[in-house]
Amino acid sequence: MSDVKHRSFSLARVAALTGNTFTGLVRLKVFYFLLLFALLLIGSSIFMAELTFQQEFQILKDVSLGAMSIFTSLLAIVAAAQLIPRDLEERTIYTILAKPVPRYEYLIGKLAGVLLLLALSLAAMSALFLALLFVREQVLVNQTMRASAGLPPAQLQEAIRNLKASAFNANLLPGIALIYLKAALLASLTLFVSTFATSNIFTIVVMVFVYFIGHLQATARTYWLESHGGGWLAHAFLGLVALVFPDLQLFNLVDDIVAGTAISFHLFAPTAVLGCVYTSVYLFFAWVAFYGREL
Amino acid sequence: MTEPAVAVRSLTKVFPLHFRRAKLVAVRGLDLEVAPGQVYGLLGPNGSGKSTTLKIILGLVAPSAGQTKIFGRDSREVGSREAVGFLPENPYFYKYLTGEETLRFYGRLCGLGGRALTARTNELLALVRLEEARHRRLGGYSKGMLQRIGLAQALINEPRLVVLDEPTAGVDPEGSREIRDLILDLKRRGITVLLSSHLLAQVQEICDRVGILAQGVLVREGQVTDLLAIENQTKLILENATPEVLAQIRALLNGTDTRLVEQRQPQTTLEGLFIEATKSKPSA
Repeated sequence: MSDVKHRSFSLARVAALTGNTFTGLVRLKVFYFLLLFALLLIGSSIFMAELTFQQEFQILKDVSLGAMSIFTSLLAIVAAAQLIPRDLEERTIYTILAKPVPRYEYLIGKLAGVLLLLALSLAAMSALFLALLFVREQVLVNQTMRASAGLPPAQLQEAIRNLKASAFNANLLPGIALIYLKAALLASLTLFVSTFATSNIFTIVVMVFVYFIGHLQATARTYWLESHGGGWLAHAFLGLVALVFPDLQLFNLVDDIVAGTAISFHLFAPTAVLGCVYTSVYLFFAWVAFYGREL
Repeated sequence: MTEPAVAVRSLTKVFPLHFRRAKLVAVRGLDLEVAPGQVYGLLGPNGSGKSTTLKIILGLVAPSAGQTKIFGRDSREVGSREAVGFLPENPYFYKYLTGEETLRFYGRLCGLGGRALTARTNELLALVRLEEARHRRLGGYSKGMLQRIGLAQALINEPRLVVLDEPTAGVDPEGSREIRDLILDLKRRGITVLLSSHLLAQVQEICDRVGILAQGVLVREGQVTDLLAIENQTKLILENATPEVLAQIRALLNGTDTRLVEQRQPQTTLEGLFIEATKSKPSA
């Protein structure tokens, strides 16, 4: 066995680390509290005051997608923040890195475990959300058909078409995909911060600041440039801030989805690529920071 | 000439202490070699540099100067650890994994899988006598059980070199003896063992060669028998010696340069007495 030639990258090793990370995370109590909260929030939106069906569907989408976005972002930060510090504190990292496991595989496996958890959590919430949407749509279709029994068929079909368009539409899926990519980016950035952070709390506090800066920086930048103008130094500084802190508002399409605005491929694709690039770049930074870290 | 299992050349490790701008020299110009198949004990008081040396050998910490090699490969190469198993001091493992899951996890990190991994897991659980606890989470293991599962994960990839940092620390005498017996078994199978320990009596029993570190410097090194031999003394142990026989022996020494230094009854060890007295208790 010990004469086996070492492979510089092994999917099997990464898969072992991913599975182990995922197993550890799903046994965290905080995961269940957060998931339960999100599911309750999504589920309770169905009991909100029944107004017109458009308003009802808007509220359902707004609350559900908002809950999914906040929950996955929070879970990404909380889960990723404690991965490396816990392994260092409990010295499990020694037994892992004393095996023929390169540090980059260790980081990839850890991040992949978090991404898997985020994917399954988002899938569960999406399933509940879409199920609720479908159930309400069917109930309202039946109500509409009963109430509009005397209407001409063409008019009835038009009413049902409008109702269905308010419920499920193709915008939902890219919106959910971008929620996931935002969470993946936050997880990767949190992992990077945790490679040099002195404690778990420090990482979480930094990430909370990053979260708010990420959501506000585009608005703040626009306001500053419009009201103060600014020479090349101001532009350079603001450009650097925009580069380092990802514009998280780009990944927030909830308002467009709720308003029924079509999300074009030309809007979705670059944003998705940006999310993947940021996630990869932060993972690379994490490796650079962790490579020489004394254990 | 056979490549040494472990070769340390002019190893120095300095830890910067940022705020005081001072430096801590943990290891200073260390040279040592561990031959294949040997059991080597690295001794020293707390803070002498033992754990730092072991971590550098394992590539977990970078040296400030010098070099360490495992079977001819630089320790900093990840591939050098294909041949190594490591049990850290007071090991912690993932509490949410069972004994079996733990071994399977580490086995997969070493490239094992499928039936080979299952067979190896079963073999090691039997070796360390944890078959009945295989489905119990490690959070419910005792200290001795954790040490045994730790040893098992160190052996999962059939290493040629096993590095043990304080393998019997905090373990009761019976558990300690089991670990000692396992180490002797590894030696019989030709596996090189490098261990650090405070328990000098145990080291004396199992190690072929020892190195003593003090403040990062290797102060003594050599074969245990050579280091411990009091050169000008000889030990005789007699059974059923009557007072007359003893008087004759003393008379033989008259007129010679040989002097009777001590005459007393040999004693067993407290450990031996403990094992004997508790042998019949139910196993864990």
